[in-house]
Amino acid sequence: MIIIEKICHNITVVALQGTLDSCSSSQLHYYSSPSVTEVPLVIDLSNLDFLDSSGLGALVEIARKKREKGSDVKLACMNDKVRKVFEITQAYRLFDIYDDVEAAAVNAGNKKNSL
Amino acid sequence: MKTLVVIREKDYEWLYPVFPGVHPLLVPVCNKPYAEFLIDFAILAGSNAIRFVSDGQLGGLEHYCENGSRWGIEISYASMLGDEDLETVIDKNRRYCSADRILCISGFVFIRYNKQHDYKKLIASLSPGEFISCSHGSLSLLGNTGNIDNSAEKPELSLVGLDSTGVYYRLSVEILKCGSSPYVLPGYSSEADCHIGRNVVMSKSTEIRKPVIIGNNVQLLAGSVVGPDSVIGSNVIIDRESTIIGSIVLDNTYIGENLDLENRIAAGNILIEPESGASLAMEDPHLLTGIKKRGGGGTVFQTFVHLFVAVLLITIMLVPFALLFPILRLQGKWHESSNTYYTSSSGKTLTLTTVAIDRSGPLSALALALSLDRFALLFRVLGGQLAIIGSQPVAATPGSRMVLERMTGYRAGVFSYAEAEEWPVNGGDTAIVELFYAAHGTPLQDVVMTFKAFFNRIHE
Repeated sequence: MIIIEKICHNITVVALQGTLDSCSSSQLHYYSSPSVTEVPLVIDLSNLDFLDSSGLGALVEIARKKREKGSDVKLACMNDKVRKVFEITQAYRLFDIYDDVEAAAVNAGNKKNSL
Repeated sequence: MKTLVVIREKDYEWLYPVFPGVHPLLVPVCNKPYAEFLIDFAILAGSNAIRFVSDGQLGGLEHYCENGSRWGIEISYASMLGDEDLETVIDKNRRYCSADRILCISGFVFIRYNKQHDYKKLIASLSPGEFISCSHGSLSLLGNTGNIDNSAEKPELSLVGLDSTGVYYRLSVEILKCGSSPYVLPGYSSEADCHIGRNVVMSKSTEIRKPVIIGNNVQLLAGSVVGPDSVIGSNVIIDRESTIIGSIVLDNTYIGENLDLENRIAAGNILIEPESGASLAMEDPHLLTGIKKRGGGGTVFQTFVHLFVAVLLITIMLVPFALLFPILRLQGKWHESSNTYYTSSSGKTLTLTTVAIDRSGPLSALALALSLDRFALLFRVLGGQLAIIGSQPVAATPGSRMVLERMTGYRAGVFSYAEAEEWPVNGGDTAIVELFYAAHGTPLQDVVMTFKAFFNRIHE
């Protein structure tokens, strides 16, 4: 999996490319580490080709840790393959899901400012 | 233009127990899934794309609508959180909503429209904001104003909040009465108020009274009456002499013979009174309950119980038999014949002497009432060759051996479960009743059924 990091409206946007499974999910551990949990995060899933339960678990873990610290993670641009995994597992109930990275970043920024 | 349909699960979750197994957004309204009415209206309003947004599962809807190519539009799906307001939902779908104009349908509402009117002009003439609403939802417009023409004609348009079976029922009847004029309804319609789907088999004596809508693969058997004001779904069988008046029969439902259904909703084995919402689950104990496995200890106890009942019946019947048998024999009314029968499903055979008593005369009637023709068979129970109650013995022939192999739990009995239940002994349903009790019966139930069969013969 390739992780591309960029800044949009002062919010870190992480674009995932390729496969997010048990092998690659460890690559996301950095985003749930104590040093970055207080910063809101937007994860761009538009180029994610495959997501399994381990990958989903990694996303939930990031969201859980961030929420513990009063921050949040927003998901953006979910493609059909990824959306089906969220649909089957009903994981869409756990995340704020946007169809646009910029909108997600703006909302994450607003929340950051309100804290 | 694009359409955004926002429906919260709390608005439609009442439908889950009412119509189990059907996605609430696909609940048929006059044999057409609810979502299709929304799609039709969106197309009439000039949309080329529709997005369904819900906090509930949309898998069933997506499986049905797919990408919308069937309607020539693009359909997409998105999730939301249950407590989000419309503004947040629109923000979360900002990319989709970046089109010039967005028609937003919010809530679990039915849109009353008329396909003969021009809704494109109406939408073009309206300024952004909510333009029609009811207590359960609204229609609103987003995006730029374009050329607002306040003088444009206002075609028929209203909303109905779908919040109970009563509203659903009244809406279905209303659409049925309107016919195909305002809405596109499924099925062939060579005359007004009557839509009939594909592969509908009707008996010559079936009566159809308009207005009526019948789905695909429906069988209307002899003497059945359908309508007026009735909706029959797909894959439905209306059995003989049944009457459906002012009722909705949903897909995959069987209406048994000689039933009168008036102002009700039938969905599978659930019968609903629309106004109160009261429902009744009809369960056929012979066909719909799962087969229980009997424990090994039960068989020994059952054999003991059968022996006990046989001894009891021999005691009761001994004196009448000793008195009546010689007389009937001398009168030539007592006929005996021997034949070989299967005693169990494993294929064991036994030669039994069966008795036929002429029905003429009071003594014959008394002998039959006391089941004296079965007296000799009771001793076979003592020998463990027959059950006191079980299946009617099947004659040992090569053809019946094949039948026997399919009859799991078959055990020949002096009396049969069908006699106890007063089913016609040679009817096709007899085997179902007998096999049901063979699989589900308990020793104590066997005692009850034996005496039931015994007393039924007295009444005959």
